[in-house]
Amino acid sequence: MRKMRTVLAPVVALSLVLAACGGDDEGDTAATGEDTAAETGGEDTAAETAAEETAAETAAEETAAETGGEDTAAETGGDDTVTATQGGDLTFHMITHSDDGPFWSVVKRGMDAACADLAVDCVWAGSVNDPGVQVQLIETAIAEGADGIASSLPSPDQLIGPLQEAVGAGIPVITLNSGSNDYQEIGALTHVGQTEFIAGQGAGLRFNELGATKILCGRQEESNVALEERCNGLADTFEGDVVSEFVGLDADQTEQQNSISAALQADPAIDGFMGTGPVIAMSGLGAATDTGREMAGIAGFDITPEIIAAIDAGEIAFTIDQQQYLQGYLPILLLFLNVTNANVAGGGQPILTGPGFVDQSNAATVAALVEAGTR
Amino acid sequence: MSDTITDTAERPSAVYTGGDERLAYRGIFQRLFIRPEIGALIGVIGLWVFFWAVADPFGRAQGASNLIDYASTLGIMAVAVSMLMIGGEFDLSAGAMTGAMGILVIMLSKASGEFGGLGLNLWIAIPISFAVAMGIGFANGWLVERTKLPSFIITLGTYYVLIGAKLGFSKLIVDQIQVGDISEAGGHGFWVKIFAAEWNRNDHQWDQRDTVYVIALMAAIALVVIAITEMHFSRRHEGAKASGLPIFGIGAAGVVAGLVVLHTTDNTSGNWLGAAVVAAGALVGLYGFGAWRFQPIQGRGAVRFTPEVVKYLVAGLVGVGLSILIAAVMNPSYPIDGPDGVVEDDLFFPFTKQGFRATMFLIFVAVGFTSLLIAASKARRVSTATKSVVAMISVIALVVTAFFIRSESVAVKFRTEAFSVVLGLALFVLAWTILGLLFEERSAVDQRSDRLGSRLIAAAAVAVVIGMVAKLLFTTSAEIESEIAQAKFSMRTVWFIAFTIVAVLVLGKTRFGSWTFAVGGNKEAARQVGVPAARTKTQLFMLVSGAAWLVGMLLAFRLNTIQANTGNGEEFDYIIAAVVGGTLLTGGYGTALGGALGALIIAQATLGIPFSRWNSDWRFLFLGVTLLLAVLANRSIRSKAESMRR
Repeated sequence: MRKMRTVLAPVVALSLVLAACGGDDEGDTAATGEDTAAETGGEDTAAETAAEETAAETAAEETAAETGGEDTAAETGGDDTVTATQGGDLTFHMITHSDDGPFWSVVKRGMDAACADLAVDCVWAGSVNDPGVQVQLIETAIAEGADGIASSLPSPDQLIGPLQEAVGAGIPVITLNSGSNDYQEIGALTHVGQTEFIAGQGAGLRFNELGATKILCGRQEESNVALEERCNGLADTFEGDVVSEFVGLDADQTEQQNSISAALQADPAIDGFMGTGPVIAMSGLGAATDTGREMAGIAGFDITPEIIAAIDAGEIAFTIDQQQYLQGYLPILLLFLNVTNANVAGGGQPILTGPGFVDQSNAATVAALVEAGTR
Repeated sequence: MSDTITDTAERPSAVYTGGDERLAYRGIFQRLFIRPEIGALIGVIGLWVFFWAVADPFGRAQGASNLIDYASTLGIMAVAVSMLMIGGEFDLSAGAMTGAMGILVIMLSKASGEFGGLGLNLWIAIPISFAVAMGIGFANGWLVERTKLPSFIITLGTYYVLIGAKLGFSKLIVDQIQVGDISEAGGHGFWVKIFAAEWNRNDHQWDQRDTVYVIALMAAIALVVIAITEMHFSRRHEGAKASGLPIFGIGAAGVVAGLVVLHTTDNTSGNWLGAAVVAAGALVGLYGFGAWRFQPIQGRGAVRFTPEVVKYLVAGLVGVGLSILIAAVMNPSYPIDGPDGVVEDDLFFPFTKQGFRATMFLIFVAVGFTSLLIAASKARRVSTATKSVVAMISVIALVVTAFFIRSESVAVKFRTEAFSVVLGLALFVLAWTILGLLFEERSAVDQRSDRLGSRLIAAAAVAVVIGMVAKLLFTTSAEIESEIAQAKFSMRTVWFIAFTIVAVLVLGKTRFGSWTFAVGGNKEAARQVGVPAARTKTQLFMLVSGAAWLVGMLLAFRLNTIQANTGNGEEFDYIIAAVVGGTLLTGGYGTALGGALGALIIAQATLGIPFSRWNSDWRFLFLGVTLLLAVLANRSIRSKAESMRR
C-alpha cells in the first residue's frame, strides 16, 4: 500500500508540473540535479557533525540513488518551476498531537504566517493525542517526500522510530512543543519549545519576588510528567517550601476548588498557589476567595480569556506563556533556512519559546493579541 | 421475584399473618439494618469520625461547607441515577450531559456577534435547555425500549455524541474549548439567585446560636431514645401505669438541669456535676418511662456463656485493648509544632504519622465494638441476663475508651468532643441494659407503637436539621473575635437536599415509585400485572437528564464559563455513589437516599486527603479501598441482618 503511494505520488506530481510548465526547456534538468545534491547534503549536515560532512554527502547520494529514486525524480520535477533558493515549491509538514484547541490553533497560525512569509507550502496535521495516528502521519509525510518535518514528541517511545526514519531518508526534522529530551536521539536539527522545568524555574523566581513562603503547586492530572516538571522547576528556584499535589481534573472544577480549599485550611502556612494550567489557577483563585486567605500570589500556566481578565483585575499575579506562536513559526523558518542555506540554529541546544510572562503590566496587550489569535 | 418485592418494599410491613416467615416480626434494629442504605449511613458516619480525628479543619464549618458543596452536584446526579438503576437501567451519558446543558444555556444566552451565541434572555434560554434535556432523556429511553439493546450500549452512544457535540459546537460557535460568560446574559440577576446564591456564614451573627443548637440536638437525642424504647419494648398488657409518669418527669427535669449546668459552666467541677446529673436523670427518666408504658419482664434466665458468645466477647475486648495499646505505643513523642496539635512531620507511607495512629486506633475500635455488638446479639438468644452482662462489659469498655481518647488524642476537638460522644454512648447502652433487665422485649407487631416511634424519629430528624442549620449558617461574636475562617453555603446544597427529599418521597410513596421497583425487578412480570414498563423506564431516563440539566445550571451559574470536557467521565462516580448507597447493579433494589449518602462518602474520601495533608499520589488508592469497604460492609450487614430474621 505504502509502496503504491510512493510510486503514485511522483507520477502525479510530475504530470502536474509538466502540465503547468507546458513542456518548458531542457536546460533546467542539469540544474535540478545539482539542487537535489545540495539539498541532500544540507540535510545530512544537520543530522550529523560537520566533520563527517564529506562522508555523509557521499552516503546521501548513494541513498538517494538506491532508495529515493522516484522521490528524487519528483523533486526534480518540482524544483523545475522556481529556483530552490526561493523555496517556492518546498513543502513542510507540521505533525503534532494537536487537538485543534485554543493552544494549537495559535501554533497553526504561527505556521501559516511563516509559510506565507516564506512562500512555501505547509501541511498541518494533528493527531488529537493519538500516537498511533501521529506515526501514520509521519510515515505519510516521508512517503510524500516532504522537504522538512516539524513534529511534536508527546510519546517518544512510539515516535522516535518514524522520525529517525525520516532523518534517514534525508528529510530535515525539527521537534516542537514537547520533545526537548529526545530530539538529539532522533537527529533533529533542534527543538523549538519550552522546557517545563525551566518554565517552573521562572515561576519560582517570580514567587520569590512576590514574597511567598510556601506554595501549593496544584496539578490537574495525576500522572503527567510535564506538569510534575513544572512543579519541580518551581521547587528548584523558589526559596520557600513547595508542596506538589494532584487536586482534581479540569473536568470537575467543583472538586478542584474544594480540594484546594481543603489544603489551604489544613495548612495555614500556604500563601502561594501555582496551578499547572489556566483552569486550575482559576480554581485556586476561587478557593482562596472562599477561604478568605490572603495569598502572596496565585499563578497559572498558559492563557485563557478568564485568566487574562483575572490578571488584569489583579486577582492573579501572572501566568506563564509558552508563546506557542513561535512554536509554529520558528520550525518552518529554521527548516527553510536549513534546506535553502544549510543553516543549523541552536548549537545543539533547544530553542526556548518561553517562559514568557503575562502579568498586570502586559495583560491588556496580550488580551488584544489573544483576540487576534497570535498569543 | 416475590422475594425481591418484599426486599424492596422495606417500609415496615405491618401485617402479621403468622404463617409466612418473610412477614414475621422484626425488631427495630433488624428492620434498621436490612435497609439498603444502612451500609452507606455507617460509612458516612465512620469516615466522618475518621477524618474528624485525623484532620483538624475537617469538622469545622468551613470544612463542612467544602464537603457538602462537592457532594451536592454529585449527589443530585447520584440520587437520579440510583432511581434509574433501581428501574434496571444505566445512563452513561449522564456525566457528559451536565456539562452539555451548561454549555447549551451559555451558548443560547451569550451575546450574538462573531463567535457569539444566540443572545437569548435567560428566561427563554433556560426553558429551552430544559426541553432539550428532556428530549435527550426521552431519546435515550425510546431507543432503549425500541431496540431492546442494553441501555449500557445506547447511552454509551449518547455519551460520545454529547462529548463530540460539546467540543464541536464550542469550537464552531465560539472558537474556544470553553464557553462563557453567562454573567452578561439578560435575566442573570434573577437566575443567579436561584442557582448560585451564596450564604456567607461570617455575615450572619447570632449569639444565641449555640443555645438553640444544644437544645435541638439534645431534644433530638431524647426523642430518638424514647422512640427506640417505644418500638423495642412490649407495651404493658393492662394499659399504662400512671405512677411511672412522675418518675419520668423527674428524670427529664434532671437531664435538663444537668444540661443547663453543663452549658453554663466552664470549670471542671461544674462539668462533672452536670454530667452526673444528666446521667442520673436519664436513667431515672427512662426507668419512669418504662414503668409507665412497658410490661415488666417475666423471666431473665440464667447467665450462661456459650462458646460463641465468649468468642466474640474475647475478640471484642482484644480489639479494644489493641486499639488503646497501639495508640499508646505510637504516642507522639515527636514535636507537635502545628496549630491545634496538627503534627507537621514527614509522611508515613500515604499517611502522616498522626493519621496512621488514628487510623489504626479507629480500625481496632471499630472491630472491637462490632464484635461486642455481635456478642451481645448472640447472648440475647441465650438469655436476657447473659445479654445484660455482655452489655455491661461493653459499657465499661466504652468508658475506658472515652477517657483514653480524652487523655491521649492529638486533635484538640477530637479530644473534647469525642470524649463526650463516647461517654454519652456508654450512658445510652447502660440505660438500655437496665431497661432490658426490667421490661419485656416486644415479639409481635404493634402498629400503634411503630407509628408513634416513627413520628418521634421524624420529629427528631427535624430537630437535628434545625440544630445543624443554626450551627452551620450562623456565627457568634465569640467566633468572630477569634477570627474564625469564613464558610459559604450555596443554593447547590439547597437543591441537593430538596431533590433528595422529593426523590425519596416519589420512590417510597407514589405509584411511580412502586412501578420503578417493579420494572427493575422483573420487567416482563411487571408488564403482565399492568405496569406501563416502557413509559416508566423512559420517564426514569428523563429524570436523569432532568437532574443533569439541573446540575448543568448549577455549574454554569457557579463557574460562568464551562469547559468542553466538563462532566466527562463523572457518570462512573454517580454509579459508584449509587452502588455504595446500596442500590444493586441488577436493578429492583435500592434507595434514593442511598445515592445521596454515597455521594457524601465519595466527597469525604476525596477531600479527606487534602484535609489531612496526606500524599495525594495515594488518593485514588484510598478512594478505591474506601469504596470497596463500603460496598462490602453493605453486603455483610445486610446478609447478617437477613439471617437474623428467623
